[in-house]
Amino acid sequence: MEIDLYTAEAQAPVLGQDFLTWLWFKSEKTGGVFYTEKREAFVLFLEQRVSVQGGEGESKETAVVSGPMSEMREARIGLRNGKKVHQAKIRMEQDENAWQVQLSAPDFALSGLKTPKVDMKLEEGEDPDARFLEKMYLVEKSLEFLDSVYLDFLRVRLGDGWKNEVARVRAWMEE
Amino acid sequence: MGFLAASTSITRYRIVEEVPQELWAEILDRLLRNVFKDIDEGAEERSFGWTCFDNMLDTAWQTAPPEKGEYLTFSLRLDTRRIPAAVLKKHCQIALEQALEHMKEQGKKFLSKEQKTEIKEQVTLRLRARTLPIPAYFDVVWDTSKNLVYLGTTQAKIQELFEELFSQTFDLNLEPQNPFFKALNLLGEERLKDLEEAESTVFV
Repeated sequence: MEIDLYTAEAQAPVLGQDFLTWLWFKSEKTGGVFYTEKREAFVLFLEQRVSVQGGEGESKETAVVSGPMSEMREARIGLRNGKKVHQAKIRMEQDENAWQVQLSAPDFALSGLKTPKVDMKLEEGEDPDARFLEKMYLVEKSLEFLDSVYLDFLRVRLGDGWKNEVARVRAWMEE
Repeated sequence: MGFLAASTSITRYRIVEEVPQELWAEILDRLLRNVFKDIDEGAEERSFGWTCFDNMLDTAWQTAPPEKGEYLTFSLRLDTRRIPAAVLKKHCQIALEQALEHMKEQGKKFLSKEQKTEIKEQVTLRLRARTLPIPAYFDVVWDTSKNLVYLGTTQAKIQELFEELFSQTFDLNLEPQNPFFKALNLLGEERLKDLEEAESTVFV
């Protein structure tokens, strides 16, 4: 497989921004309920902090909006003006567990990942690696959720239904 | 930053090649060959290399081996000496004035550009020897069952340093899991062309 690294570099933000913009729409429309490949339900939504970006080169504009989700009007206006989600704070939940992470559209950098709390105290006779393994399980769980919604997006994005989906996103932006 | 911290940053990578079986037995040897070397006593500007995941001071892996379940763990340690700009400026001025005084005694009026550069270099070196390096470490977790590697930072400079040192240490190449490569891995090579040709969507 021949991959042109320049194309890969240039396409990453295109896919990432389309994805996060779609994810905001999708999570609001579905009440945030998604499923993993193994059909496990989880809840995912954007919260509190969204950054939208538009334009290119010197005319590039970014607007960072934080506040309760219902107050994200400024960011919504940005979308209506052709901006796309550039970075978003994402919350994921499954049963009593909750995760939080800031995801960046161009490179999928994950910052401030908070998993459900892991008790760092070791019980007597417990495997010394137990807390690390528990933490990794939780980290990888959140990555699995993110990969699942990304795969959902890719299937629509590269499928025949994208045009219709874009119309639905547009209608949502104008709500 | 530590993976076990309450809040952590992560860059995801996939190992491009298939890992040769014999490599698993060589992990510690290879880490030791590129181990972090302390520069507290010297004047080097920076030093970087691998260290133990469980203890950043342990470069012999006596605290714990890299293996934890199906994961391999270690840390990238990077120590850097930074002389505050104001300190450097002050000591350069002192040294230049002294040099100029010395020149005047010899009947000369000016310092050449080369002399000034040399004085600055000497001052930098002298101050560096008196400045303690600032230690930093970034956790690395290698999920051997999935051939994925997680680096505990999103800083571009550290990513670059890490990618190079990882390749050099294990003879394996890392592919950053950005939206393009992540998509390619989720969908398979047959969708490469679609991903390369996808245009930015105009939603409005």
